Amino acid sequence: MLKRALAIILLLIVGYWLAQGLAGVPFGQDKMLVGQYYLDNVKQQTGAVNAVTAVVVNYRGFDTLGEVTVLFIASTGVGALLWRRKKERTARTEGSIVLTTGTRLLVPFVMLFGAYIFIHGHLTPGGGFPGGATIATAFLLLYLAFITYEIPHKGFEKTEGIAGMSYVIVGLIGLSIGGYFLFDWIWQTWNFGTENVGRLLSGGFIPIIYTIIGLKVGTELSGIIDNMLKEEVSE
Amino acid sequence: MNALAAIGEVLVLLGTFFYFLSALGLIRMPDVYNRMQTSTKSATLGSLGVMVGVGIWALGTDFGSIPWLTKTIVIAVFLLLTNPISAHALIRAAYKSGIPLWEGSVVDKYREHLEAKEREEVEETPAEEGGEE
Repeated sequence: MLKRALAIILLLIVGYWLAQGLAGVPFGQDKMLVGQYYLDNVKQQTGAVNAVTAVVVNYRGFDTLGEVTVLFIASTGVGALLWRRKKERTARTEGSIVLTTGTRLLVPFVMLFGAYIFIHGHLTPGGGFPGGATIATAFLLLYLAFITYEIPHKGFEKTEGIAGMSYVIVGLIGLSIGGYFLFDWIWQTWNFGTENVGRLLSGGFIPIIYTIIGLKVGTELSGIIDNMLKEEVSE
Repeated sequence: MNALAAIGEVLVLLGTFFYFLSALGLIRMPDVYNRMQTSTKSATLGSLGVMVGVGIWALGTDFGSIPWLTKTIVIAVFLLLTNPISAHALIRAAYKSGIPLWEGSVVDKYREHLEAKEREEVEETPAEEGGEE
């Protein structure tokens, strides 16, 4: 009781403190410094209509590389923590026939939608991470509906590694062509798609990077699900 | 053009009305099964009304175009397919984890079915053993 009261009082103090700090910030006024530059130049410099993905992949591509690395480490960490010599799925009850049939019907559509999200990252909201998470959701559905389902491990782990490597390689190509790491060579050197901004074949390397990230995130999250759903079997 | 907007508005109104009914059913009904029954059905219908209505409503205004309707119909079909499955899974899980029916319920055929199955298994196993002897 005393503990709870103390915690509430502490939270109230912290909340009041934060509110005091935010009270001086003029929301809704034109105070953009960097943001205005992004909004003014995003179409000419990157070819993306979606300014968020342009910032995430082009202007601040290094952060995205870091995020992908974080996810990779998370997946590897789960794999290392839950490592057993022999693991199997120990689920006992199969999903009802409604669930399994529904899953069979829906999984292709969920995957298609995930691919749609990451392919259209430069045009519509979304990008690689939501698209990849949607694809992982499809695999989670399969895991929940069928007791014996397992992802194809060999292909998955290879795809994960190849996708991570190709992100770095795309960045390194930019470096070798005469820019900097993660320099958008497709847009700025090749001028590919400069005349159809707002259509699918534009956006420089954003669609390519996001396809890579989508595959990577999808396989990685599915791998985490797979690791967590399995239990050790005594031989 | 305005007829389309009017139709859309009526559909959205109907949809929100069914949303309200489903929320009401959630409060009003006595047990899990009845609550799911009222809330999932009317929420699905309400969503369909709202989404298709928004698509048609947008067609009637000057910024609207066919893609609005297409997108809303795609979302509506997806919801129409997934909502019953999720409701089914929830209800089945509730029954399997032993949540009792409302005390006013009269008949529970599923339990009878399960018990009959169990009895059959019990009867079958000694018979097989007897055959082996």
